[in-house]
Amino acid sequence: MTMDRRTVLGLGGVATAGVVLAPGMTLIAAPPPDKTEASSDQRWAMLIDVNKCDSNCTACTKACRQENNVPLFGDPNRDIHWIRKLEIRDKEHRRPSVSLPVMCNHCENPPCAHVCPTQATFIRKDGIVLVDKHRCIGCRYCMLACPYKARSLVYHETSRNEDSNPEVPIRAKGVVEKCNFCVHLVDDGKQPACVQACRNEGKHAMIFGDLNDPQSEISVKIRTVKTQTIRADLGLKPHVHYEGL
Amino acid sequence: MLSNFTAIEGRSFGYWKLVTFFAVLILMGAGAFVAVEIHGHGITGMNNKIAWGVPHVFAISMLVMASGALNLGSMSTVFAVKQFKQFGRFSAFLAIALLIGGLAVLMLDLGRPDRLLLTMMHMNFTSMFTLNVFLYSGFIIICFLYLWSMFEYQQYTKVIGSAAFMWRVILTTGTGSIFGVLHAREVFHSALTAPTFVALSLSSGTAISIILLVTTFKHTKRRLDDIVVFGLRNALIFFTLLVAYLLVVEKFTKFYSPAFYDVQNWILTGPYSWLYLLGVWGAAILIPLGILFHPSRGNSVKGVLWASISAVIGTFALVAHILLAGQAYPLNMFPGYEVSSVFLDGVTATYTPTSVEYILGFGGIAVAGIIYLLGIKFFRMLPDKAVAPEGYELPWNP
Amino acid sequence: MRSLQSHPLKFTVLLALVWAFVLVLPTMVVASGSGADVTQHSKSAYTGGPPQLENAKGEACIRPSDWMRRNHMDFLKHRRAQTVREGLRIRSESLIKCAECHQSREKFCDQCHNYVGVAPDCFECHSYPK
Repeated sequence: MTMDRRTVLGLGGVATAGVVLAPGMTLIAAPPPDKTEASSDQRWAMLIDVNKCDSNCTACTKACRQENNVPLFGDPNRDIHWIRKLEIRDKEHRRPSVSLPVMCNHCENPPCAHVCPTQATFIRKDGIVLVDKHRCIGCRYCMLACPYKARSLVYHETSRNEDSNPEVPIRAKGVVEKCNFCVHLVDDGKQPACVQACRNEGKHAMIFGDLNDPQSEISVKIRTVKTQTIRADLGLKPHVHYEGL
Repeated sequence: MLSNFTAIEGRSFGYWKLVTFFAVLILMGAGAFVAVEIHGHGITGMNNKIAWGVPHVFAISMLVMASGALNLGSMSTVFAVKQFKQFGRFSAFLAIALLIGGLAVLMLDLGRPDRLLLTMMHMNFTSMFTLNVFLYSGFIIICFLYLWSMFEYQQYTKVIGSAAFMWRVILTTGTGSIFGVLHAREVFHSALTAPTFVALSLSSGTAISIILLVTTFKHTKRRLDDIVVFGLRNALIFFTLLVAYLLVVEKFTKFYSPAFYDVQNWILTGPYSWLYLLGVWGAAILIPLGILFHPSRGNSVKGVLWASISAVIGTFALVAHILLAGQAYPLNMFPGYEVSSVFLDGVTATYTPTSVEYILGFGGIAVAGIIYLLGIKFFRMLPDKAVAPEGYELPWNP
Repeated sequence: MRSLQSHPLKFTVLLALVWAFVLVLPTMVVASGSGADVTQHSKSAYTGGPPQLENAKGEACIRPSDWMRRNHMDFLKHRRAQTVREGLRIRSESLIKCAECHQSREKFCDQCHNYVGVAPDCFECHSYPK
């Protein structure tokens, strides 16, 4: 048995090395290696080109609900939104309004993780901010701390139906939820559901990738075009960047 | 000079009626907790904008009052105000009772209260909550030691009492910092939030002590000299002015910063302005001060009693304003822009509390009440008569 | 009451008991509350007799069977923490692989769990792979 374990670990080591050797390629590369682990070699981030985002289009939010079994309760005060479309307009109404999706910003200094009493909310090594739903006690302090309103408490029992995604758990009553960058897809070398949906829609407004990899599309873009983050003044260093805001 | 401590008799019909009343409230509170546990927070009025509602208002008000209840003890032990020494035991015991009542509500409102122990297993020392776990449990222990020393080992009272005083200042700072440290919330993000909570605890703790002392002494037919109550009245005036001062400084500073015009105008004229103007400025500050400064009402025990009741109501109002208005004010994600979405961005949040929340909150008050009632029956908490030291005169009367 | 007040030790013990009671009470309520939850959710109630496990499909388990019988809960819990918090994913040992051999949760997991009266709540949110 010990031998088995060592073999597995050894293979895993080789596989991880493979990931590092071919950065950027892993996102499209087909079957993932047997063993993968989050590593600080990566820093996942998203770039949203607001100019390409259409105010009528809700492909990203729909895809998110489908992928992550995020239900609508029919009560706007309690509906869970991992990603939502916002319309913003300057108060003097001099310019036309702008439409953009907003989700968890996966901050480098996340206030939600700072205030969580049980470390249920934490930053993974690769920069994704996650909620450990097995550990969340439902105190909701994080919901007060988040400046992006990215978090929702699950107020009602949810259930599976034939449309549910079996690979993702349904939402657990009494704990706090938020966008996780579709971590199960990212770990398999795929793109988050919203990014895929945006591309399938032909908009190409969202890019997801590794900021630590200088060759990745997102790194190149962030170096060459002017991008912004929401409430950069708060010093949270969000990792959802916006172009054309 | 001062009298003996005796337990109250506690055999009257009225006493047991009160105990039964609190017991029923506790049972109802437990029922509300089980209902929320089974059906989820869907049966409360809370939502994703107002995530902390009425139970938290009750809990945090009681925690603030708990640290303030220690006031009489601190004044006698630390600041050598002799006429309050006779209330030292009462004060430390009331602090424990209120703290337990408040904490019970806070814990029973969790989304997953069955996982409460995880806060002990996976501590996060950047969280004000984790720090407060230590501050609250430490406070109970230190109050217990303080109480014990007053009963048995008076040579240690000074040391433990001073430690308790420091601890309670830090504790209330911790409670206020739960809100004060949140940068995203413009209504209560301020370095003055924690000091305001400390001042509020001083005023509300004095007020609740006045209410309980006057009523308890009246119903047990013990002697409580007016001059003792008026000493407390002077303290209440000072503490209320302190709260007012901090509130004014905070507003004053923010009105010099154009970035805060929107939120400050919203506080003064928005949907929660009634809570701010009537609750905070009316009940917590102006009504008590108006009564206490009044030449005849301020010099009657009845007047002081009503001023104290108003101050306690005002404490709930101030906490409610910070909590509810603080969360209802829309997050300013794009300064200078109007925002709208299906998630009600840019809109003042609405919140209609349901009865389970109130029942849970009153259950917490009942826990504190029953601890107090049983405590004064079984232990020698109260002096058999409360008189001022000989030759004592108040420095000031209205 | 008079005698009680003249005995400091009794006084201390009684005070401690009162507090212990007050602190323990919510915990007891919590325990009973979540207990009610568990019975409510357990899908198939125990109907008597020793557990009848369905034969597994594959050659051998990823660990020796007797070790698994004793340790699968700790193993799963440890892996759960590693996966959630460190992003560790070992695809040859994932839950999907469990279901390739143990195809029915009702005829495998639930059999023993019902027999010994434990109700893990994993599958209230997760779905057992098909």
